[in-house]
Amino acid sequence: MKMRSLMSAAFLALAMLLALAATARTGGSKDASAPAAAATGSSAQDESLRLEGEKRFRSNCARCHTAPPRFAPRMMATIVRHMRVRANITDEEMRMILRYMTE
Amino acid sequence: MMCSFWLWPRKVAQAGLLGLTFLSSIGARAQDESPKAIPILTGSGAYFTKVTGGTFQDVPSVSPLLLVPVGDRWLLEAKGSFSETFSKDRGDDYFENKASYGLVYAQADYITKYVTFTAGRFTTPFNIYGERFAPVWIRALQPGPLTSPITSGSSLGGMLRGGIPGTEKINLNYAVYFSSNNTHHLLATDRSTGGRISFFLPGPRLELGASFQQVLQADRPHAAGVFFVWQPNRVPLSLRSEYVRSSGLKGSAYWIESAYRLSQIPALRRLEMVGRGQQFFAASKLSAATITRLGALGKDTRQADFGLNYYFRNDVRASASYGRQFVLGNNVNIWAVGMTYRFVMPLGPTGNSL
Repeated sequence: MKMRSLMSAAFLALAMLLALAATARTGGSKDASAPAAAATGSSAQDESLRLEGEKRFRSNCARCHTAPPRFAPRMMATIVRHMRVRANITDEEMRMILRYMTE
Repeated sequence: MMCSFWLWPRKVAQAGLLGLTFLSSIGARAQDESPKAIPILTGSGAYFTKVTGGTFQDVPSVSPLLLVPVGDRWLLEAKGSFSETFSKDRGDDYFENKASYGLVYAQADYITKYVTFTAGRFTTPFNIYGERFAPVWIRALQPGPLTSPITSGSSLGGMLRGGIPGTEKINLNYAVYFSSNNTHHLLATDRSTGGRISFFLPGPRLELGASFQQVLQADRPHAAGVFFVWQPNRVPLSLRSEYVRSSGLKGSAYWIESAYRLSQIPALRRLEMVGRGQQFFAASKLSAATITRLGALGKDTRQADFGLNYYFRNDVRASASYGRQFVLGNNVNIWAVGMTYRFVMPLGPTGNSL
């Protein structure tokens, strides 16, 4: 009985964790749609986003190393995800840096 | 029987909740328009000639890093290291060669908006050098700092970490971990716990932070550290420092390093000048036997290093450095000259390229 209660509690905790993660992902997706919307907007908006991405790159990545060469977007997506973990950059910053590095 | 009947609605609710979250994640994935990440093999290679107190060493090394993204939120990372040290005397006769290899980390990361859950073998999140500046292609000076041996460099267990955007003026990032004891000679870790917290001020580009580590075995020493990184906006200067103090036999130490890129002079824009000063204070009242056992950690040490880095490209760099180490009765010169190369190669279709 005690074992089952424990398993139930663990199961519920896992479900809550996944729910939290899914919520976070949905929040991030809103951010992800921003670059797409910006692409159809004015060039001033594009320039503003580019500058913001560059600023985030200089603040976070350049604190430790020089800029890497530009790679294909799918490679950059992996590199930026790795750096998100290593450098503790936020979800929003990751998306801005990825956009800047793949323009 | 009664128990099963009582638990049945709860099981349905749990299954429903899991199903709901699964559907949410599928829905969210459909909206995400970021490029899909692919597995890559990256890392660095280096070749250095070092002269320490008259002993020559040629050291080729390679550190491959495999990154495998899974879905939108998972990342599997594994980094290894291999180096061969060829030692030779003043007469150019090689008298020893020693291979060294190991698993730097092998971890699974689950990334959410504010928290990344990490499990496996990972670099201990203590201060800044081990996690950020240790790779040969990043470190500004090849000789490592005297703070490194004071705390555990690697851990085996779980870690929570992340960055939290605060206001436009300040960001917070944090890491907490728990590690189990592992006695394998290549993968040794201590049973320990600890963490790090830092604040980054984007305006002045200043990061300030502190770390703590408590070892939960043997004589249970703890260590505390503080650090800062500052990159002024107006000059291509990077100033960084860390201090570590241990309650055990491993003493305390600090280092402060500055790196200045001569990008304002067109002819020298690829050149970087580096200087570092550091000091190690051995624990007090150590017995002669303990000093012998601790080796370098048993004696007070001061060291000053100067170096030059020339960036042929962002991923190819030549480095040279000179350092003078002052240890009672055994002062030595430390020279290092060599090259580093960072590589990145895709392990899947890249789609359109830049």
